[in-house]
Amino acid sequence: MIKIIKKYINYLYLAVFVVLIVVSYLSSKRKPDNVTELFTDLGWLNNFPKWLDVPFMHWINTGWRWFSSEYGLVFDAIGYVLLRAYVITKNLLVDTPWPLVVLGVVALTYFASGKKIGTTIFVGFCTFSIGFLNPRFWDKAIETTTIVFIGILLCIMVGLPVGIAMARNPRVRNAILPVLDLMQVIPSFCYLIPGIILFGLGAIPAIIGIFIYSCPPLIRLTDLGIRLVDKEVIEAAESFGANKKQKLWGVQMPLALPNIMQGINQCTMMALAMVVIASMIGTRGLGDEVLLGLQQLNVGSSLEAGLAIVLLAIVFDRITQAYGEKIQEKTQPTIKKKKYKI
Amino acid sequence: MKFIKKSVLSLVLLAGITLGTSSANAACKAHLGDFDWDSANIHTAIASFMIEHGFGCDVEVTKGSTTPIMAAFFDGQIDVITELWEDNLVELLKPHFADGSIIHMGTNTPASEQAFWVDRATAEAHGLKSVEDMKKPGVWELFKDPENPSKGRMTSCISGWTCYTINFVKLKEYGLDELYTNFDPGSGGALDAAIAGAFAKGKPIFSYYWTPTSLMGKAEIDMVRLEEPAYTADCWAAMSVVVEDIKANGQEAYVPSCANEYKDMALTKTVRADWAAENPDVAAMIKAYALPTEKVNEMLAYYVDESDGDMEATAIHFLSSNSVWESWVSADVAANIKSAL
Repeated sequence: MIKIIKKYINYLYLAVFVVLIVVSYLSSKRKPDNVTELFTDLGWLNNFPKWLDVPFMHWINTGWRWFSSEYGLVFDAIGYVLLRAYVITKNLLVDTPWPLVVLGVVALTYFASGKKIGTTIFVGFCTFSIGFLNPRFWDKAIETTTIVFIGILLCIMVGLPVGIAMARNPRVRNAILPVLDLMQVIPSFCYLIPGIILFGLGAIPAIIGIFIYSCPPLIRLTDLGIRLVDKEVIEAAESFGANKKQKLWGVQMPLALPNIMQGINQCTMMALAMVVIASMIGTRGLGDEVLLGLQQLNVGSSLEAGLAIVLLAIVFDRITQAYGEKIQEKTQPTIKKKKYKI
Repeated sequence: MKFIKKSVLSLVLLAGITLGTSSANAACKAHLGDFDWDSANIHTAIASFMIEHGFGCDVEVTKGSTTPIMAAFFDGQIDVITELWEDNLVELLKPHFADGSIIHMGTNTPASEQAFWVDRATAEAHGLKSVEDMKKPGVWELFKDPENPSKGRMTSCISGWTCYTINFVKLKEYGLDELYTNFDPGSGGALDAAIAGAFAKGKPIFSYYWTPTSLMGKAEIDMVRLEEPAYTADCWAAMSVVVEDIKANGQEAYVPSCANEYKDMALTKTVRADWAAENPDVAAMIKAYALPTEKVNEMLAYYVDESDGDMEATAIHFLSSNSVWESWVSADVAANIKSAL
């Protein structure tokens, strides 16, 4: 059966294409009164004819209406869980006195970077500067951070398993790669606006947007990281009788960690970019300060908010990068290797 | 080498051709300012089609939100605004009308509404008829803001638009700010989607909105306009001062003043004086341009449901199925437009 399909697959595609053209002609409102006109009046060869229009929009709209009324409850449930997580985290951070938050970030950087004093001081200073730029930005930055944080958690929860599956099975990879391309390339408003209808205005559609926009690099780098692990190392593990599970968790994952951390870092940066765009759908945070500055033609205020976002990005970037470097030093002891060579 | 020579020659030739065509059209240029809501889009589409095909002008359209477009208009980069929400911008427009750099071109659409609306099912179930009713105990909980559960959510205007600040003042004056958030939806599309989403799920919604709009023309969207204190010019003027102050100096600049309903206002048109002097015949068309509200709503419904979201097709549909526009232009211009349809 599969053989037959494979043999005639090109004819099948051709048939689908012809059917689409016929459907588009029949469903168009701007077609000529009579089919024969197409042969007598060849004007349609000049400009792209109005009747050659696949009614894709109608299909999507009909499907969407059915989908949102049938499965609305499912999305309400997802939205509720995300919203709880968001509100609890945000309120906790907003209620914490700001010096404690700065100290928390400093402590986090200190341990994540492997006790590098320079990085720690720099990150602490950046964190302080967000509020220093404009005291109003402090709570907004916390809102933004919370959204980004939950979005990234979601990305890691989905992205890591998918990346691992892709690395282990080329078929899965071939199936998922085009989906990743789609997720990265499709303009964000295409999914933000339906997001509003499913989840309402505010933080939740932004989290979903972050997931769609910033998950692909994490998946790609997880996949790449695992596949880049030296064949010899894996062979060595195999010769010691490691099974598939042991190979993955004992050898591949630890060696792929620097790459995965790079993926998480990229994921964070893209999440920050998305959270700014999401201010167009009513997401609170630093993004809406930029948007307000733009709409009021206030160069100073939008640039100030933009700088605050840059500072936030630096904080995220430094912490994740420093942690990545720390792991790298552990898994790839380059300095020691050199010593052996000598 | 030969290839380079050829390509240089063809480039020069091409430049000559483009220069030739542009200088031929340069006799008449119109730069239209368009906004991010659909009734403005429709007027811009109709007017630009008429100017381009009727008068043979180079037409350029720039679309954006109110503040940047109006700034470009005052700056002389944009010549024509076909739909102006004049009453929202009184203070902003005053100096420019006064110094004669822009000209008022009369009414475009005679009546439009801006107001607070509640979906009919909720309004009837809880007897919500006016903004005062929104203060009844327990009512705010119907519209609970998921991100700020201690208040209800009033989905407001977009934060850069003047109506956002007006709504901010209104909520304070009506004593609703204790109960409701003045929630900025971020963009016009997001506001529409929030209302459409609430209706799709059968959830209560309390929102600022306006007509003429395609969303209000839809059968499934049925909202009740909440009554507010009647409009008086004095009260509105007092409020406008506070609103402009807040826009300039932030929300801390709020001082108690006055608030009443939005006037059902006429939407108007305006052009730059220097442009009108250069193009008197096109300016005369802009001045004559006027459509009743029902016609605009009808066009918006056509735009959404039948044109496949194609504004130009909607403009062509309007021009070919109506004759009212023929009186705005001379007979030969009308003939030009007709032949282009």
